[in-house]
Amino acid sequence: MNNLTLRHLSKTYFDPYAGAHVTAVQDVSLEVKQGEFVSIVGRSGCGKTTLLNMIAGFIPVTGGEILLDGRAIDGPGPDRGVVFQSFALFPWKTVLQNVAFGPRMRGLPDAECERIAREYLALVGLAEVAERYPAELSGGMQQRVGVVRALANNPDVLLMDEPFASVDAQTRMTLQEELTRIWLERRPTIVFVTHDVEEAVFLANRVVVLCKGRVLNEIDVPLPRPRAWDRLIEDAKFKQLSKEVLQRVRAE
Amino acid sequence: MNLILKVWGFYARSAALRSIAPFIPVIALWAIVAESGMFPRVFFPGPAEVVSSFGSLVYKGILPEYLEDSVVRLAVGAAAGLALGIPLGVLVGLSSRAHAMLWPALLFFQAIGDIAWLPILLIWFGFGLTTVTFVIVYTVLFPVVLNTVLGVLSVPIVMHRAAQSLGASHLRIVWEVVLPGAMPNIITGVRNGLGYGWRALIAAEMIVGTSGIGFLMFDARRAGSVVEILLGMIVLGLLWYVVDDWVLVPIERVTVQRWGLVTRCG
Repeated sequence: MNNLTLRHLSKTYFDPYAGAHVTAVQDVSLEVKQGEFVSIVGRSGCGKTTLLNMIAGFIPVTGGEILLDGRAIDGPGPDRGVVFQSFALFPWKTVLQNVAFGPRMRGLPDAECERIAREYLALVGLAEVAERYPAELSGGMQQRVGVVRALANNPDVLLMDEPFASVDAQTRMTLQEELTRIWLERRPTIVFVTHDVEEAVFLANRVVVLCKGRVLNEIDVPLPRPRAWDRLIEDAKFKQLSKEVLQRVRAE
Repeated sequence: MNLILKVWGFYARSAALRSIAPFIPVIALWAIVAESGMFPRVFFPGPAEVVSSFGSLVYKGILPEYLEDSVVRLAVGAAAGLALGIPLGVLVGLSSRAHAMLWPALLFFQAIGDIAWLPILLIWFGFGLTTVTFVIVYTVLFPVVLNTVLGVLSVPIVMHRAAQSLGASHLRIVWEVVLPGAMPNIITGVRNGLGYGWRALIAAEMIVGTSGIGFLMFDARRAGSVVEILLGMIVLGLLWYVVDDWVLVPIERVTVQRWGLVTRCG
């Protein structure tokens, strides 16, 4: 089982402008099971992106440890796929080359890389634009590429950092529904960071509320799948859960 | 009136003519001043004399030979400058230690202009190809290095992170992410480097040369042939235009412009 375990994780920065140490994450412990979809929600500045960057291995931890499948992580690696808020597609590579990048870095033969990339592009309805460059795509399409680029590498955990924050509201709903559909089909382990309470509840099995760098609450989301906005928007259970999470997020 | 507009429209549509069009008034003015007899013809020949001198120098084979000499010197020097400059720029851009060590030296030597090296180079290497090549490599190197460093630093950190979390090694990241990401600046560096290199070459040929366009012009001065000096100047301008428009701009169009890194080229 490829469980992701965070043990007493903390992160302290030295802020040269304030001339003092700032604590971004404090004593966070969390267990994410294989195939689980966990949302981390909190206000801006609560440390959620710092937490994700530590799991991704982009920044070192100050204290505690991160275990993936029982092994401590050391720097970034292909076992943890990342989807960025700014998409971070390679502008100089076609859509196909972007998605094939991970498999290619693993040393798979070219034909196999292309087959995998085309399969994942078909999964999000982008088979037609495989030969285009990212700049020629809409924001929603670009982030679909961002998601399948990470998935095509078959990571143990998919880390998503407010991935739908920079697309318009309608596109965002579509992308959220697509993500739950992909999760149902493939069951990747997902850690999804967002400030949007309804997004967190809509997507996840479990919502972790982060406040001032600490875990304030963990709330299970027993809503049935597949989930669709048309139904959930009027659903009493969804509304009640969202309200509950929102109250936690707003609590100081 | 309508006819004039139509003719103008025809010219404006043709790309080749469009690039020539701005020169038409200049040439016309030149011809008028030359024909007016304001200056002695020997000192101020008209376009017709320059064209006929062009014809005769091409016919004798002097111009093609000198042109080839100059262009080959520039190409060899520029290739060496790029081969040194791009890796050096990537190194300085990526490694803070290399940056700390090399940056002051780069700025120091950049300030000692190409021509300022000529006196000592003439003593060391004499009047020869080594001196000319050194000057060109030196001139091309700095704009390429400095712009490459700028380009490497301009690649967003999120691109490095994306590549790392997809399993790319450091070497692969340099090749697949840093170099293409730095491409707009590298092209600017190459363009500046070639431009400065071209000027440095002509200057070096005037002092050192036994052939080449710079030599042609300086030799013409000795013979008092203003026609050939003007011809040399025109060839310099034309050649640069051709290099930029036929080589650099198309490269930009299929790379950085297609990638959306810059919006318009040229």
